[in-house]
Amino acid sequence: MKRIALITLVFGSLFIASCSSDSDSVRDEERPTITVDYSAGFPQGCETLQRGETYTFTARVTDNLALASYSLDLHHNFDHHTHDDQAATCDLEPVKTAVNPLIYMENFSLDNRPTEYEIQIEVSIPEDIDTGDYHCAYSVTDETGWQSRTSIDIKITD
Amino acid sequence: MLFRLLVVCLSLVLSTYSFAQQTSIVKGSVVDSVSLKPLSGVTILGENTYAVTDDSGAFQLKSPKNSTVFEVSHLGYASAKFTLNANQSTPLVIKLKPSSTSLDEVSVQGKTSSRIEKESATVSVSVDEEFLHANRENSLMQTLRKIPGVSTMTIGSGQSKPTIRGLGFNRVSVVQNGIKHEAQQWGSDHGLEIDQYGIQDIRIIKGPASLMYGSDAIAGVVDIQPSKAPAINSFGGEVNVLGETNNDLLAVSAGVQGRKEKWYYRARLTYRDYADFKVPTDRINYENYVFELYDNDLRNTAGREANGSFSFGYVSDNFRSETFVSNVNAKNGFFANAHGLEVRSSTIDYDASNRDIDLPFHKVNHVKVTNNTTINLNEHTLHFDLGYQNNQREEHSEPVPHGYMPTPPNSRERVFTKNTYSLNAKDIFKVENHTLSAGINTELQNNNIGGWGFLIPAYDRYTAGAYLFDHFELTEDIHLQGGLRFDAGRVATQAHYDWYRSPRDNPDGSTSNVYLQRAENRTLDFGSFSGSVGVSYIRGNTTYKLNAGKSFRMPLAHELASDGVNYHMYRYERGNLDLDPEASYQLDAEVTHTAGRFNFGVSPFLNYFENYIYLNPTSSYVETLQVYEYTQAEVFRTGGEVTAGMQVSQDFRLDASAEYVYSRQTSGPKEGFTIPFSPPLIGMLSANYNLGNWSLFKDVNLNADLRVAAAQTDIVPPEEITAGYQMLNLAVMSKLNLFNNQNPTLLRVKLNNVFNTEYYDHTSFYRLIDVPEAGRNLSVSLTLPF
Repeated sequence: MKRIALITLVFGSLFIASCSSDSDSVRDEERPTITVDYSAGFPQGCETLQRGETYTFTARVTDNLALASYSLDLHHNFDHHTHDDQAATCDLEPVKTAVNPLIYMENFSLDNRPTEYEIQIEVSIPEDIDTGDYHCAYSVTDETGWQSRTSIDIKITD
Repeated sequence: MLFRLLVVCLSLVLSTYSFAQQTSIVKGSVVDSVSLKPLSGVTILGENTYAVTDDSGAFQLKSPKNSTVFEVSHLGYASAKFTLNANQSTPLVIKLKPSSTSLDEVSVQGKTSSRIEKESATVSVSVDEEFLHANRENSLMQTLRKIPGVSTMTIGSGQSKPTIRGLGFNRVSVVQNGIKHEAQQWGSDHGLEIDQYGIQDIRIIKGPASLMYGSDAIAGVVDIQPSKAPAINSFGGEVNVLGETNNDLLAVSAGVQGRKEKWYYRARLTYRDYADFKVPTDRINYENYVFELYDNDLRNTAGREANGSFSFGYVSDNFRSETFVSNVNAKNGFFANAHGLEVRSSTIDYDASNRDIDLPFHKVNHVKVTNNTTINLNEHTLHFDLGYQNNQREEHSEPVPHGYMPTPPNSRERVFTKNTYSLNAKDIFKVENHTLSAGINTELQNNNIGGWGFLIPAYDRYTAGAYLFDHFELTEDIHLQGGLRFDAGRVATQAHYDWYRSPRDNPDGSTSNVYLQRAENRTLDFGSFSGSVGVSYIRGNTTYKLNAGKSFRMPLAHELASDGVNYHMYRYERGNLDLDPEASYQLDAEVTHTAGRFNFGVSPFLNYFENYIYLNPTSSYVETLQVYEYTQAEVFRTGGEVTAGMQVSQDFRLDASAEYVYSRQTSGPKEGFTIPFSPPLIGMLSANYNLGNWSLFKDVNLNADLRVAAAQTDIVPPEEITAGYQMLNLAVMSKLNLFNNQNPTLLRVKLNNVFNTEYYDHTSFYRLIDVPEAGRNLSVSLTLPF
């Protein structure tokens, strides 16, 4: 019995020691943030854009350590397949088939590991694209690989 | 066969049978429950009395007291207990269940399976039919989750796949009838595709087992053993009916088996149909989105499953062969609002019915044909396992344009057609105190793809391995084991191009629209040694084990050659053709001790991966989707399980267990982080009380299970911290002598998640989109044998 108790003790303490020997360096467990919910943020929920115009898409991103990349995706929502995460609910036009929709997809990387940054992307809306409901999706990553996203319903008109 | 007989088996739940008795001498006989041959030399031991059976298996017990408990034991058989009661008039027939699971263990070793398990240096757990019946959940792996160290990755209410000590996907081999089960197990939204009814024995190996099982058995093996041959001149079967309230499930499974002298057969049909499962919340918050749930239904998680199997076999003294044909067919819906990670709105009226399966859903069909043949020669036992598997998987989702991809023509997002051919051969022979096993495993796999969403290329894969394993009996109680294996493999991927054009900038500044190439024609070769050495020492009631092993896993096609958008997860996945085979070194120990009414066990492990392969979320983008790249890193893991049990009284039993895994990446881009899907610290408490007989109900068992999970704060991107939880399950099991006194009906009533607790499982597929686990569920199961 004694030997059993001893061996149990040895294994048990080994086990507990292995559980508690957590000598980690500091891990980054914070996601970056992203928002258009401030006065300069663009576009705001349900905003209407016009063909032929040029707009500066603007959003604020932050991170506790270092921001790495961001992206902007503009795509049509003629089939109502997706919706935004903004407070207001926009009135959507009837479902329709895309002929020549605007597709804008660009990725950008950030140098110098900033912890705060204002995204500013100039986008010209071509004259010949389909008008209607569109969806604007921003995303941002930090150096560690955490991602945050935000999306906004917009309209493009003549 | 016509006389009243009783089957007494040792199981997790100790069964108490009632006998009647009029005279002071009780006569009876003991037979083998399978062959019905009389067993001589069987000891029947009671308080102040004992008997030994003669050549015809007969025995006489003198002046037994009423209600005395007798223990029946015999080498090679599970020992059994029974209680004598008043009014016993007919002679007793006690059927002893052979405890060995396959022919070689009976003929070569002549030892009980629990003894063999003790002599093996590998840490393993055996699960029998009784356990499966008592703990049956919606899928096989959810049923096995009660075993310390085993957990599951669940996908809704009907599907799950195994994880052992926190490792899952292709790091756990699932073996059925000696053949490795091959589906699309790398996919996180993929279940197991095995009918959980009709399974008699499962052996679960915790720890590296590449030596005997080849690539992938890095974390362990779930080895579903071939069923035992039925008794000579027998015919029998059972019908199982199951109903559940949480997902309105109705399931029926019926099986028959019969045997003449040497030929036998088995057949089984299973059908399950279930509605959306209910969660204890009426809204789900994911990122900034809020989804209102109608009537607590997790919309579109309904499913159905239809399985059939047939087998026939021939058994003689030195030869046994069984051919098994099965088909598993299932259709399962996925939560509609955020399939994977993308938030969708849809015109489909998901709340119209909780039973319909709308988009997104998947359909799977798995055909399996296996043959197991065992030949006993004088010194040698030869095993041959042949297998063919056809796995057809279709993933359907609403055709939605994405990026430069226009609206696809149909809902067939991804289609996989995989054929796997397997051949294993093994020779077991004894040389003095050495039992040697030499064998080969070969497999040929051909995977074809279809549908509009590309994720993994079509490929062919060939693997072959050869091993030699020695079990050396140093003394009766000290056993040494060791072996060496070499495997070689080749993966040949096929080129794949998009079906639509994407604009690409040319060096001269112009832009052209091209069909992008997603995969190339490549042939990759791999080779790896694996091996293990171990010792087991049985000292009275205590067993010590120590085992060191190296296991490996060949990189899979998706790890090597993915290059595309995973719409299920809304991310861009990229493979890496330079990946090396995963190599894992593990040290396992186990001490188990039984003393009277107490039992205790501890099984710690240390594990080091040279190059653990995982899907790493990077900080870069492709076409505005985050790039996840298959990456290799050194990983250190440790942990283990502790179990303790106490037979408080003859009728009352308490069990407790805890499991824990600690993982750290010690190199690579996520150095300092854990690995994905790390399970939290989990404790389980179980109380079992046998009420005895009550009116029509015989052998009534009450069971309470409390599962306590700590919070999982040890996470790696993109995971989120998961809070701890406590969950209580209650069950009542009983036998009912409805139609047939020889084969009582089994009734089980189970209440899962008694308090309708809202909790999250860190390793569930739906955890990523903040969907809680299923709410309260009442299930009633009836098994009618005939």
